[in-house]
Amino acid sequence: MQWLMRPVPALPIIGSFADRLLLADLPDLPPSDRRLAVDFVAHRVDNLPSFTRFGVMVLGFVFRGLLAVPGGFGVAKVLVKLPLPLVAEYPRLIRSLAFAYVWETWPNTTATGAKVAATA
Amino acid sequence: MSMQRATATMDADVLIVGTGAGGATTAAILAEAGLDVLLVEEGDWVEQGAVVPFSLDQMDRQYRSGGVTVALGMPSIAYTEGCCAGGGTEVNSGLYWRPPGELLARWREQFDISDFDPDDLLAIADEVEADISVSTVPGGHTSPSEVLRRGADALGWRNGEIPRWMKYPPSKLASEPRSAVGERQSMTRTYLPRAMKAGARLALRCRVDRLVTNAGSARSAVTTLGDGSRGEITFRDVFVCGGAIQSPALLQRSGIRGHIGRTLAVHPTVKLAARFADALNVPDDVPVHQVKEFAPHLSFGGSASNPGLVALALLDQWATFKHAITQWRNISVYYAAITSEGRGRVRSLPGLKDPLVTYGLTHRDRELLRSGLGRLALLMLEAGATDVYPSFKGAPVVRNRRDLATMQGAFTAARASVMTVHLCSTVPMGEIEGKCGADSFGRVHGCRNIYVNDASLLPTAPGVNPQASVMAVAIRNARRFLDAGGCRG
Amino acid sequence: MPAASWMRVAAVGDQLDRGTIERWALPNTTVVTGAVGWLGRALLHRLLGDPQRARLRLLAQNTSEAAELQRFVDDHAMNAREQPVVEIVVGDVAKANTAARLLHQLGHDTDVVHTAGVIHPRRVREFYEVNSNGTRHLAVAAADRGVRRFVHISSNSPFGTNADTGDTFRGDEPFNPYLGYGKSKMAGELAIGEAAAAGLDATIVRPPWFYGPFQPPRQTTFFRLIRGGKFPVIGSGDQRRSMVFVDNLVDGILCAELTPAARGKGYWIADQRAYTVAEIVDTVGRALVDEGLAVKPPATHLPPVASRIAEIGDRILQGIGVYQQQLHVLGEMGHTIAVDISRATAEIGYVPKVALHEGMRRSIRWCLDHGLEL
Repeated sequence: MQWLMRPVPALPIIGSFADRLLLADLPDLPPSDRRLAVDFVAHRVDNLPSFTRFGVMVLGFVFRGLLAVPGGFGVAKVLVKLPLPLVAEYPRLIRSLAFAYVWETWPNTTATGAKVAATA
Repeated sequence: MSMQRATATMDADVLIVGTGAGGATTAAILAEAGLDVLLVEEGDWVEQGAVVPFSLDQMDRQYRSGGVTVALGMPSIAYTEGCCAGGGTEVNSGLYWRPPGELLARWREQFDISDFDPDDLLAIADEVEADISVSTVPGGHTSPSEVLRRGADALGWRNGEIPRWMKYPPSKLASEPRSAVGERQSMTRTYLPRAMKAGARLALRCRVDRLVTNAGSARSAVTTLGDGSRGEITFRDVFVCGGAIQSPALLQRSGIRGHIGRTLAVHPTVKLAARFADALNVPDDVPVHQVKEFAPHLSFGGSASNPGLVALALLDQWATFKHAITQWRNISVYYAAITSEGRGRVRSLPGLKDPLVTYGLTHRDRELLRSGLGRLALLMLEAGATDVYPSFKGAPVVRNRRDLATMQGAFTAARASVMTVHLCSTVPMGEIEGKCGADSFGRVHGCRNIYVNDASLLPTAPGVNPQASVMAVAIRNARRFLDAGGCRG
Repeated sequence: MPAASWMRVAAVGDQLDRGTIERWALPNTTVVTGAVGWLGRALLHRLLGDPQRARLRLLAQNTSEAAELQRFVDDHAMNAREQPVVEIVVGDVAKANTAARLLHQLGHDTDVVHTAGVIHPRRVREFYEVNSNGTRHLAVAAADRGVRRFVHISSNSPFGTNADTGDTFRGDEPFNPYLGYGKSKMAGELAIGEAAAAGLDATIVRPPWFYGPFQPPRQTTFFRLIRGGKFPVIGSGDQRRSMVFVDNLVDGILCAELTPAARGKGYWIADQRAYTVAEIVDTVGRALVDEGLAVKPPATHLPPVASRIAEIGDRILQGIGVYQQQLHVLGEMGHTIAVDISRATAEIGYVPKVALHEGMRRSIRWCLDHGLEL
């Protein structure tokens, strides 16, 4: 089973969904910063323990598939609100990694992702 | 010092797998007794000061899997493990709690541990405290730490500063206050240099995949080196000190059966972010105060609170909490930790590098998490918090007592961000069959020369920061190994 | 004047002397709601025994309750040389205009002790009508009249149950109400808080499970279950329960009434320490034997899941407005409810004088003396 987990990099699988999710959560985050955040998320997913990584990659495939069809992101958003614990964990993982990265890297980011001048 | 690259074949009297609080102390005791000791560490040696404490960079370089590890369950419990020379001691809060004497006595009774005199262990604790400079902060405390003291004092709840194993450099001028920023006396500063000075060798970036065993004896270990190549280490005795997740996983991968990995014990914690009128955030340190009024079953303390971690604390109810993020300088994150009646499992699955970790909270655990979060929120209000943001889905912002009731009514553990940093008890020590994975001195039941000497041995989670307990037990067992003529059999 | 009553009043004075706790003199008028109830009668018994209480004004819910109260007062008068002037006002505490009539022409030389409450209603909404709205009406009216002290009798229920058998509620705890009763009593406490913010001098007394003389006939079930070895012990019975002997509770109420420093505070009033359920069953059994009654050894042990199921059932029924007492009691039996009285001792000088065994003996004797079959 190891061949399934190691060689496949996470970015192509989870990148587009993570990007859409961050665009929805933080619309004012500059696109270049969003890309950095998505890269960071993918890097962390690459380092997940085997079992978790496997689960994340499977969900990543499903959600990437959803994004490929029109209106798929809306379906995905509904899907994660259903009481399916592991499914809801997927966007949560992406969000936690991305938010931690965004605010640690650019602490003066607003709730919508805009940059503000540092306040004392 | 003898820090070396791991090579394809190595040999030693004693192989020690892991360099944390258990492995480093074991290495120092055995090397100083003249044994030929080889320490292997999966991670790197990271000098203190090379990374910002509690940063993502630190998580990348010193934590296993970048700090993103989880015990699956309802809810899943996020946990972290150090993966570097010094293990968890390099990345934890540095707070030091002796194991309570009555707890040691209870362990002895309930797990039938031979020669386990609480006084002996506390005497070892005395030595450890001198070795790693356990001390209190010389000057004043940080504002987030003062919040805990102030809130607890207002409620009449027992609280205090927990000493840390830190050295505080003396001020350059007599008129200057002493620095409150200490130098951690972690394993890379204390027991690892001691071990190497006594001749122990340390091989970094060397993962032990499995032990080759035959009829309860192990003679060699199969390793993967940093460049991905395979290696082999031969030895007479082996100490597995990879922590409560990795140690049982390695034993299982080596085909060792018995009570291994079945009783993972943790201190589950829930957290909240508290906002105050004035700026208080300290991004790179944690509060030294803890509230022990309800110990052992319930403790409160402060978490790391850099802006990224504040965002994480607000994440569960982002829709209504998100606007607080721009106020992160006025926010600090706090936790409520419980002793858990639930248990978890560590299972190695064939073909997978990492074990599957699961944990189940009991009904009582869930209720206790609710009660803990409620009391913690009350403490924050008493300390002057203007807004409290509990970390669970559906949480209200708490500004007064009525909100507290709403919060407790809305809480369920399944909706909360439950996490833990204290992992124990996967190879409990003692003589009771079916309950203990190792004997009274850490030798794996049914094995002749395989020892465990880390947090896995603690029979239960101690209800306090466990590093002191781990070190005292590890030193006791290493000495016992020497007394029993270890390595000469 | 029965000597015993004098001694008890003097005991409050003793506490005053031991510490630096400042006390008020007795008020001209003492208003009591719920006087016909279990706690109400125990309190009234004490107040009637103190002729320095110039005037008592009691609230009765209806004319038959008023008659019952009058009989209680008259019975007491037969044994006393002198006792306070007693007025009985008839009215439903849940109705907005009752409070104004109850407090008519009273002012700052008045203390109010609000014991009226519903514990085991037929319908869940009665909880709110009495425990929440009734309390609010009364507190608002008392604030208007500028009474000296308003003592509100609350409960452990606004704070729920202890999550661990080793846990004990401290002086100040976050609300975490246990079902309908807890929610309604919490709303009552919050109403007191609002009135206090508007100037009412109020103190909250929080008793857990109480026992002792003046118990209503339904409470004999408790003794009968223990006598028959049928009291439902959940698991090993290691749940801890705080209880309070009703005379201790009256002591606590008087301390809360007469201590100026109690303003704006809430106090647990209970026996000195919490007891385990197993200890309660054992002690009550011994008390019954000591009073000459035969007792079968406890035999009814239920698994913890039984209590959990009862609690869930109770929750569901209360969700549709139905209250079922047995289910409620069984659901609660699996929990620890333990409180720490040290703040009451330190701040208002409350020292419980009777512990479980003696309290239960007195309680059993009272039942036998009053013709109740155990």
